Amino acid sequence: MSEPHQALKDRLRDGVEPIISVQDLRKRYGDREVLQGVNLDIYPGETMVILGASGSGKTTLLRHMEALSKPTSGRIYIKGVDISNCPERELAEVRRIMGVSFQSAAMFNSMTVGDNVALPLREHTKLAEPTIRLMTQMKLGQVGLQGVEDLLPSQLSGGMRKRASVARALAMDPEILLFDEPSAGLDPIIAAGIDELILELKRAFKMTIVVVTHEMSSAFLIADRMCMLDQGRMIAVGPVNEIRQSKHPYVRQFLERRPEASEEEGERSYLSGL
Amino acid sequence: MWPTEPAKTLISIFEAAGRYAIDKTEYVGGLTIQFWRGLRAIWKVNPITGSRLRWQNTVRTMAVVGFDALPVVCLIAGATGLIMAFQGGAELRRFGALKFVINLVGVSMTRELGPLMTAIVVIGRSGSSFSAEIGTMVVTEEVDALRTMALDPIEFLLTPKYLAMMIMMPCLTVAAVASGILAGAIFIYFTLDMSLGVYLRATFDALHMRDIVSSMIKAIAFGTIIVQVGCYEGFNVSGGPEGVGRSTTSAVVKAIFLVVLADLLFTAFFYFFWQ
Repeated sequence: MSEPHQALKDRLRDGVEPIISVQDLRKRYGDREVLQGVNLDIYPGETMVILGASGSGKTTLLRHMEALSKPTSGRIYIKGVDISNCPERELAEVRRIMGVSFQSAAMFNSMTVGDNVALPLREHTKLAEPTIRLMTQMKLGQVGLQGVEDLLPSQLSGGMRKRASVARALAMDPEILLFDEPSAGLDPIIAAGIDELILELKRAFKMTIVVVTHEMSSAFLIADRMCMLDQGRMIAVGPVNEIRQSKHPYVRQFLERRPEASEEEGERSYLSGL
Repeated sequence: MWPTEPAKTLISIFEAAGRYAIDKTEYVGGLTIQFWRGLRAIWKVNPITGSRLRWQNTVRTMAVVGFDALPVVCLIAGATGLIMAFQGGAELRRFGALKFVINLVGVSMTRELGPLMTAIVVIGRSGSSFSAEIGTMVVTEEVDALRTMALDPIEFLLTPKYLAMMIMMPCLTVAAVASGILAGAIFIYFTLDMSLGVYLRATFDALHMRDIVSSMIKAIAFGTIIVQVGCYEGFNVSGGPEGVGRSTTSAVVKAIFLVVLADLLFTAFFYFFWQ
């Protein structure tokens, strides 16, 4: 992990602008403030892992980066464009440089896997059908899937569906790739395969990758930098080693997988009563 | 001490009424915005200037909405026509005016029952399925996936359905009217011993151009309501699979209510302004 981070430090020293910049982002649902003034800069070519417990706001933060939610206040810049407040046409342009892999894979069940991957190419390019078919095979090959073009998503295993969704996200050669819980619901071996795929994409295409997860082993393996959210607040941002050695009590608790103090005590008192 | 108990009750009634009014206004506003966005996207769906993918979707939806619904629409409209003939015949026979059953069946099927029965069958078959299909896509993040691919879900999902409905609803309505009128012919054949040719000529004599035009206008309006309500309920699903079930029920109930309301308004309009 240290080598890519060194490269990142070099870029920062050279004054590279962040490719994604989240500034004082707040999101409120009714009385509940899910994001409470989040600030985060993500630089070109780095892999940022967003950590946090369930309900900490990490998926909400990712949805704002994907321009799927409007913030209550604050700004999100993608390559300098404020996606929290820009016209639909400009937003469409920004979205073309992003690929998203959803937690549920979000493959279109009525289309074949090949048609799923080809969809952005058919919609946004004027490529001829044989070229599109060739590119579809190539993208599926990049994620380790061959000969599945004519299958329906329901005929694939969970891991294969995730890979196919990554192939679809790669279809337009995006500069930014966003993953929501890439290993959720997968067994450890398949999950390790997805981690390996993310590492390969990082090596081969030098993409900016943002991953939301709470799988610590996966996070330490793929991240250049990490950030941690707790109840909608950004409590730590930094390189992997910095987060690993953090003295912040919540970060320590999260990394060491310790339960909430009150819960632990409650459990003990319950057990002692038996 | 202020506010007093009666004042508090009054305030809460006003609050509830206000909230209800805001909710309904929001609903109608949402439907209207969706309608205009769908209408604007039609040029991207038609076979001449539109995308091949969308046009293929439109043809597929036309087959499901129109062709597959044809037997059940004809059966229900036929049964309705026959019921109308029996009920009308029972009363008109007492006045020696049995032949006016021809006018009764022809006019009521064309103006009213043909479009209405078709709409009710289509709501049950297609309105509910549009809502369930889009609702499931919302729950499984497929609609979000479309947005992240810079594809407009309205253009991609709603507009092909809308165009298909605009083509198929008038066709189904014509089929329903024809079935109802032909079913009336069975009654007339057995009671008045009138041939089909004479019956049909008498029916056409009873009909005016305004009856046919109002029937087609109603068919298009009902089709618009069915698609817009079904898709709107689908796009606004929340709460997982349970939410999909709720939205499907809501789509059917709201579409039936709005279709009947629109029918009333159109009927009143034609009564007062196009006699």
